[in-house]
Amino acid sequence: MSAPPLDRPALLSALRARIARLERAGAAEALAARGEDAVPLCPAMDAALPWGGLPRAALHEILAAEPGAAAGFAALVLARAGGTVLWIAPEPDAWPPGLARFGLSPAQLVLVRAAREQDALWAMEETLRCPAVGAALLVAGALDLTAARRLQLAAEAGGVLGLLLRPDADNAAPTAALTRWRIGAVTSDSGSPHALGDPAWSLDLLRCRGGRPASWRATWHGDRLVTGEETAQAGSARRRA
Amino acid sequence: MRRRCCRPPRMGMAAAGGQPTRPPGPSLPSGAGPGESAACPAGVQRAAAPPGCTSRRRILALLLPRLPVERLRRPGPVAVWAQRGSRRVVVAVGAEAEAAGLRAGQALADAQAILPGVLLVPEDPAGDAAALDRLALWALRFTPLAGTEGGDSLLLDITGVEHLFGGEAALRQEVLDRLSRLGLTALGAVAGMAGTALALVRAGREGLVAEGGEAAAVSPLPLAALRLDPALVGALQGLGLRDVGSVAAQPRAGLVRRFGAGLARALDEALGRAARPISPIRPPPEMRVARDFADPVVTREGIEAALGLLLGDLCRALRDAGRGARRMLLRAHRVDGAVQEVAIGTGLATREARHLARLFHGKLERLEPGCGFDRLTLEAPATDPLTGVQDGLGTAGRAARREELAQLLDRLSQRLPVWRLAPRASHWPERAMQRIGAFDPVEDFPGWAAKPRPVRLLRRPPFIGAVALLPDAPPSLLRIGRASHRVLRAEGPERFEPEWWRDRPDRRLRDYYRVELASGARLWVCRIGLAEHGEEARWALHGHLP
Repeated sequence: MSAPPLDRPALLSALRARIARLERAGAAEALAARGEDAVPLCPAMDAALPWGGLPRAALHEILAAEPGAAAGFAALVLARAGGTVLWIAPEPDAWPPGLARFGLSPAQLVLVRAAREQDALWAMEETLRCPAVGAALLVAGALDLTAARRLQLAAEAGGVLGLLLRPDADNAAPTAALTRWRIGAVTSDSGSPHALGDPAWSLDLLRCRGGRPASWRATWHGDRLVTGEETAQAGSARRRA
Repeated sequence: MRRRCCRPPRMGMAAAGGQPTRPPGPSLPSGAGPGESAACPAGVQRAAAPPGCTSRRRILALLLPRLPVERLRRPGPVAVWAQRGSRRVVVAVGAEAEAAGLRAGQALADAQAILPGVLLVPEDPAGDAAALDRLALWALRFTPLAGTEGGDSLLLDITGVEHLFGGEAALRQEVLDRLSRLGLTALGAVAGMAGTALALVRAGREGLVAEGGEAAAVSPLPLAALRLDPALVGALQGLGLRDVGSVAAQPRAGLVRRFGAGLARALDEALGRAARPISPIRPPPEMRVARDFADPVVTREGIEAALGLLLGDLCRALRDAGRGARRMLLRAHRVDGAVQEVAIGTGLATREARHLARLFHGKLERLEPGCGFDRLTLEAPATDPLTGVQDGLGTAGRAARREELAQLLDRLSQRLPVWRLAPRASHWPERAMQRIGAFDPVEDFPGWAAKPRPVRLLRRPPFIGAVALLPDAPPSLLRIGRASHRVLRAEGPERFEPEWWRDRPDRRLRDYYRVELASGARLWVCRIGLAEHGEEARWALHGHLP
């Protein structure tokens, strides 16, 4: 009696699927209950992310190489997540007149001041567990693995998109977040020294579970994010025209 | 002694028409009457009619003549003294000191000569008032409406609660017994009017006055019972008017002309012709439930279990009434008479016991049970109509989402400041947004997206150094901290004039520039004031642009 031939690729893919199910078992349920899918960024980035955008029911980490650019990117994600969003910080200095440019209206923004780290983590966890919230942002310093894991599990339970906004430090410890971004500012393409032009950012996807690191240079044009290649194409198209 | 004291009111009762018992007093239906008993574990009460609304009230007045001494809880003879002008006089004496011959009003030197061993304590009016306030809180265990009066008295509106204690006399006795267990000497009298009851206890009388018997009960009392100005009392006595009845018998017009309207008012109140309002220590709640414990509750688990039962009762009552609570107050009566309070607030009216229990959860730590609580009261001081919500029907749907969000914001705001930002009609950056409550609606402001504005506005803008080619030119170099940054591009200036109708006059205008540094960082910097000759311009970093 011989053992049936081992179909290695099939077995491996079955195991991978099982692990994926185990890992984000709660998230699937929460997402099904919400009936919403991943938050789109822009075509180039969505293609690089395995979920076709930033997935909800997960924690994403943003390292702020430049505070303004990182806040702008965070506002963009929060606005696209929709619904009520919470901004939890030791000293929330989000300013709606500027955030409105990214589609984040003051009507959906709630600010929470949590001076102590313990309070901030508690508030973030409570928020992530609440399915009525669209997204939540926590401005935090260093965060240990346990705390981040708790937040990740809470996000999976509630189906809420969580953002961790941290200062960019070289020794940033690994966290349980699904993706890690570093957002910096780059000089804009404006030709004139008297006009700033559109905000231009460098977006580095440093870590991505199930995906590859990548980096882009993008500008915020009107109401969408345009990556470098697209601008080049658009520019050449304009030249051709 | 006490029997004699009781007699005038009894006689008054006979004079009022020989009713052997007081007619059943409370006009409120018994189910809705304010009150709950020591015997029945839980009683829900709806909002009592506002005071003064029903004609028949029953008021228990308590006088605590030795409160300044007895609240100190010192053994042996004690007296409290105070400086009155150039004299030092005794203002309150304890029972032992009084037995030895000390009196209030004595000179301090006399008191020391009579009883050298007496413990003399200086007067502390604020401490006395606080002690009386604590006692008024304690008295809320008998009735929802209790207040302090005149620094040494309590007024309890016992309308409709006396049956829970077995009648007015039993209630009065219960209150006095409990006070004496706390080590306090008290006199108590019940009457239909607060002024009458007060006059009785101030004259040293106790007992019950029946409906309509006020005038007869108060007439024989000395004028001191009215707490009038001593000069006024002296003048009246000089005319041979030594008791309340003889003053009241005088023609009113002449009395008012000679002695002022204050005397007439005091007479009317004492004789039961005018109502004297009670200023409640806490506003009477709209709804209240209470539980008494034979064994005092000490542990956290016990308190939580009791709170769960109370919340169940109150939420049931709220549902029956079609209302939801906006605020809740847990009042814990400790065995030693201390009262502690824990309050929570909600953004939307709610009656969900589980949610409310979670809100209380973090705050119960503030309670100090000591030797235990023998009574817990849960009140809803403010309620709103809440109808059309089907409890416990899944989490689908918009209303449920809204509810869940409200509950989250409630939980967060119990511990942390939570707010929204609403636009305000002001161009000055610090005033463009105002904080509003997390539950208030915010209107969108469409004009914003057009103007490039910072996404983060620094609360404390740091001063920076800047180098500009010309006094009015945009900066070409910024010094932030110790680092210097070359400016690649600059937009501006955008001038912000101060709001003269709101600002202080020396506020200076600002010229804002949007600058892009060589690193790509975009900042919102401003020059404060106009460039003046021979003066260095001041620059500040006010925000981060995206």
